[in-house]
Amino acid sequence: MRTKFAWFTVCAALLGSAQVWAHHAFAQEFDEKRPLKLEGTVTKWEVINPHSWIHLDVKSPDGKVTSWMIEGGSPNALFRQGFTKESLPVGSEIVVEGFQAKDGSNRGVGSNVVFKDGRKLFLSNTGANGVPSGGGGDN
Amino acid sequence: MNRRITITLLLAALVAVAVLVPAPLSAQTANAVKNWTPPKTADGAPDLQGVFSTATAVPLERPRNLGSKEFYTDEELAARAKATAAQAAARANQAVDPNIVHYDLGQYGLNQRVTAESNRTSQIVGPEGVIPPILPQAQERVNAKQAAARGHNFDDVQHRSLSERCILWPNEAPPMLSPGYNSDLQIVQGPGYVTILQEMIHDARVIPTDGSAHLPSNIRLLLGDSRGHWEGNTLVIDTTNFTDRTAFRNSGENLHVIERLTRTSGDTILYQFTVDDPTTWAKPWSGEVSWEKINSPIYEYACQEGNYGLPNILSGARATEKESAGK
Repeated sequence: MRTKFAWFTVCAALLGSAQVWAHHAFAQEFDEKRPLKLEGTVTKWEVINPHSWIHLDVKSPDGKVTSWMIEGGSPNALFRQGFTKESLPVGSEIVVEGFQAKDGSNRGVGSNVVFKDGRKLFLSNTGANGVPSGGGGDN
Repeated sequence: MNRRITITLLLAALVAVAVLVPAPLSAQTANAVKNWTPPKTADGAPDLQGVFSTATAVPLERPRNLGSKEFYTDEELAARAKATAAQAAARANQAVDPNIVHYDLGQYGLNQRVTAESNRTSQIVGPEGVIPPILPQAQERVNAKQAAARGHNFDDVQHRSLSERCILWPNEAPPMLSPGYNSDLQIVQGPGYVTILQEMIHDARVIPTDGSAHLPSNIRLLLGDSRGHWEGNTLVIDTTNFTDRTAFRNSGENLHVIERLTRTSGDTILYQFTVDDPTTWAKPWSGEVSWEKINSPIYEYACQEGNYGLPNILSGARATEKESAGK
């Protein structure tokens, strides 16, 4: 039985510089000077490549509702970790942290997505040998 | 935000550490690899079929400090794996600048990939272990391209890269190096043909093995024109007729790639490649990497369908221009 290596060099590279792994010119699409923290309700999750997009409605203290779109990871990679289309149902209440689009529209890129009860969307519950043991976000 | 990312990275590092520590090949296993005979397809060709991961922990070019050292010993490899794990764990404990890390590791599954083991210090073989310097005429070509693009990078869709436009990802044209994530490909064989389908980002290379000649030289393709033949159990693929848009490591349209695919066990393909372009490098250079079979299908990528990024990038560029004009 052969033992396999985790793909570690790349992990280390990613820790240093995440942009190289994004599909596109991050710096021209999103603005690192506009950090975001949004609390809202999911209205749609587009599980599309090259990036998934989460649509959510955000209610301000005065009751006004604004719709936002947040870019997430590649569905293929998410699927291999045990996520499914049902992992982020419509109506889910989530908190998203990320960066707003450079053109000032209600779009952004997500760095973290956390459910109201503390579960994280983009970290799967990892079982033995690094294999996800179930659906998304059971940390 | 810092704290949350730190936790994310720490968990990712723990996952990686859990699967990292390698065991050296036993003498028995090494012998089994040597004596392994690959199965044949119905029409008698060596059977390379399956889904394989091209992910690797071996860098394309050798780190400079290793000089001409081509292989790690098993002990060095184990020590290195341990040190890398410790380093990653230490980094995970540090606060990370959220402006740099805008995605979690887990989003790309980078904390869970498995790769074929290798003692190589670089994919590029030989004492040099690095891509040779490009010739002055190639440098002139690169400079001219850059000069023409300068200030126009975001003018319109045509000025964006082939990968950003979901046309061609660098792993798809030979040599087929790991794309970074979703590093999976499927090999399918039929009589007289081998097809290699890349998950990133959609292309299938259909390679005749029927002895037919290359296309006429006036027909140029982004993936080049590939023709294969069998040498023993090895599939040899010869690819020419590239365009200058493929530009592998500054190559021009005269790029010529020879690939050799040999199944070395039920789970592994040894992938060897030689790259030549007399208008770019003074001599050819070669590399090799092992691909590991995975128990997962290839998934459709359909990059173009969901490519919101491209209009968003151009829209961002217009906003930046407006902002600069207002200053």
